[in-house]
Amino acid sequence: MKAFLQRWGTAYGPPLVVLIVGTLLLEAYVRWTHVPIYLAPRPSDVILTLHRERAYLLAASWSTAKAALVGFGLSAGVGVAIALALASSAWVRRAFYPYTVFFQTVPIIAIAPMLSIWLAPGLKAVAACAFIVSVFPVIANTLAGLIATDPALVDLFRLYGASRTAAMLKLRFPAALPNVFIGLRVAAGLAVIGTVVAEFLVGELGEEQGLGVVIVGASHNGHSDRVFAAVLLASALGLTMFGAVNLVARRVLRNWHASART
Amino acid sequence: MRARRVVGRIGLLLVLQAGVGCKQDPAVGDPSVKAVSLTLDWVPEPEFGGFYAAREAGAFRAQGLAVDIKPRGQGETWKLVAQGVTDFATTAADQVLIAREQGADVVAIFAVYQTSPQGIMVHQARGFARIDDVFTHPGTLEAEDVTWLKFLRRKFPDAPMKLTSNSPGIATFLANPELSKQCFVTSEPLQARTASSDPQTFLIADAGYNPYTTVVIARGEMVRKDPATIRKMILAMRAGWRAYVDDPAATNAVMGKLNPEMDASTFAASAGVQKPLIETAETQRTALGEMTAARWQTLGQQLVELAILKVAAPAEAAFVSLDRLPAK
Amino acid sequence: MPDPVPAALAGSSVTLRGVRKEFPGGVVAIDPMDLDVAAGEFLAILGPSGCGKSTLLRMISGLERPTAGTVEVHRPSTTGHAGRFDIAYVFQDAHLLPWRTVLSNAAMPLELRGIGRAERQARAADALANVGLGDALARYPNQLSGGMRMRVSLARAMVTDPTLLLLDEPFAALDEITRQRLDEQLRELWQARRMTVIFVTHSTTEAVFLADRAVVMSKRPGRIISDRAVALAPARVGALRGTADFVHETRIVYEALERGEASA
Repeated sequence: MKAFLQRWGTAYGPPLVVLIVGTLLLEAYVRWTHVPIYLAPRPSDVILTLHRERAYLLAASWSTAKAALVGFGLSAGVGVAIALALASSAWVRRAFYPYTVFFQTVPIIAIAPMLSIWLAPGLKAVAACAFIVSVFPVIANTLAGLIATDPALVDLFRLYGASRTAAMLKLRFPAALPNVFIGLRVAAGLAVIGTVVAEFLVGELGEEQGLGVVIVGASHNGHSDRVFAAVLLASALGLTMFGAVNLVARRVLRNWHASART
Repeated sequence: MRARRVVGRIGLLLVLQAGVGCKQDPAVGDPSVKAVSLTLDWVPEPEFGGFYAAREAGAFRAQGLAVDIKPRGQGETWKLVAQGVTDFATTAADQVLIAREQGADVVAIFAVYQTSPQGIMVHQARGFARIDDVFTHPGTLEAEDVTWLKFLRRKFPDAPMKLTSNSPGIATFLANPELSKQCFVTSEPLQARTASSDPQTFLIADAGYNPYTTVVIARGEMVRKDPATIRKMILAMRAGWRAYVDDPAATNAVMGKLNPEMDASTFAASAGVQKPLIETAETQRTALGEMTAARWQTLGQQLVELAILKVAAPAEAAFVSLDRLPAK
Repeated sequence: MPDPVPAALAGSSVTLRGVRKEFPGGVVAIDPMDLDVAAGEFLAILGPSGCGKSTLLRMISGLERPTAGTVEVHRPSTTGHAGRFDIAYVFQDAHLLPWRTVLSNAAMPLELRGIGRAERQARAADALANVGLGDALARYPNQLSGGMRMRVSLARAMVTDPTLLLLDEPFAALDEITRQRLDEQLRELWQARRMTVIFVTHSTTEAVFLADRAVVMSKRPGRIISDRAVALAPARVGALRGTADFVHETRIVYEALERGEASA
């Protein structure tokens, strides 16, 4: 137990100290310099708002989390599948890879209304936006991993007469896992950003409204403390998803050499 | 186009940079001419026609003002005024009260729209007779969760329709016959008509929420220390709007160059639609742009009821008119 | 040719005729070359870096095609048990799958050939025991030393009971003591199984200790400049390395290697 606490302290102590000291400094700065609250709300006000409006804010966080998780799940599944397809042959890769960049560059503000028409506004359209925003890093990183398989092992599999499928399943895909997780880590954060932006554009209002809607409404109505509370919750959601991916990555890759883990 | 708040927010940083950009008015060097800036909360459109008319027809110059009009400001333009990034800006009356409660010393000096052009457009085929029908029938309403929507949601707590964020453009409206969408009656319904849809529009004002809109604000400090400039500004804007309401064609041509996205016929149609919202029986008694304490008071109370404001501050502090301007 | 066990039929013989390899861009790796490797022979190939040794090995394995000429690997007349595979390859580094245990790594070639789990695990455990790793079956590659990893790689090659074992500078990255130990282990394996071994190295002492015949190649484009039997008794133990005969043989190979460096 003591060892656990010690390790925990080493890992989380420094960022925690930075957080607390940073918050106190910001509070002091905002109080002493009388910065207008519409430019920088007091940290204490934000914390009080988080507490006072916790039911409302948690419901919005949960709504955002659902859409972000669906979008992220789609990114993981579809992104890896696309990468596997692209890695299957050099011709396919050359022919299709440039078009996957579409996901990276499409302005979500232009495509969100279309998605809202095709999929119905709300969770579906929002999750689709989160997917579009977050899928490219999964494709790109997974593909990079699949292509960079140790050539000696590729030779060995050839020598033993392994089929393409066997080589993909038993060698190339598992060998690409560290890259897959790099992609998933980036996608986790992007899925949350994509969700919040999509909520601005095509999110549901009312009971099911997410943090993006809260941010727009509160911002318009001058409740900067609520805006920041919602932003903090969105960040926390992103961090949680990032951390969850890390945890899974660590479990899956625990037997790999240290260099393969990150 | 009234998805502008969201869009504007995304572009905030760009705008803040543009806001401190160059002034190239030749009158700047002239000590007898006062150089000021006016930031608009959207692109050049008939909504701002009177300001451009004042510039083009020389109404600003006649008052000894060189006004640098900066389009494409973002939604919360009052922050730019409060922070001294710009001298004047357009916003809506509810934003003025929200700003003031947060300690931003901004004061309204001119209101373009006596009746807010904020509205909801629905498909004609639904046979709705009043705005209440939008909130008593199923379907979908696309709107931003802002002051007026909070007002209507409070008024119709059991509204059966689905509510979603206001998506950019009018594509969703065209695609879905059961979808109603927030609009500026001067803007989106005209686009929809161009796309051969036949929308019907309802003004939010008819439901009882009618903040002055496209309100020009100034820093309170300027009102107190330099009332002469405020007076000149009001007079020039009044003249500009008078000219624009009477004949918008020339000014529309100028704005059309600045905003190629909007075609000439839409400019003309929009200017026609907005005319009765700007010039009312009230302004015919007083003057264009004038405001009353009673309406500011009502708005303050409504915002308190909606829990957007904590207290309804004295209305007189939020705006000035020519007769209430401090003497030199 | 001093083949210690004349009746060896467990190995493939290899025949190269007029083999030439030119890479795209015009680099000639191998000049026309003839080479015969007898069944059950232990052949060492030496040469300066970049002389085409690895290319030669890859062509024998079938991973690379010659630009001209023929490479033939002949199966022995008697074959072993089912699942027997002709060629095994050991690289300079272990190249293990980091996500698999030692046992599962060694069993991998059998898995790819569709051999049932129980059998392949038994045979992999056997192969690992033969290289002294019988107690490390459940460990992962990152828990092993470099020498141990190389031994897993060797076990993986031996698990199919190959008739031709190709090794491309397999122990070059290891320290001297580990390397000598592995050399001894490899020689023991060969003595027990009598597969044909082609061993590429740049170490003269290693070549002389292991092989019955040493071929020395010139700088690129690679040609054979020396091909001679190693005049040492078939039983090789560590102490051999100190003997005058060993030093003598090493010197002869070394001088050939020097000529190879100077050539071209």
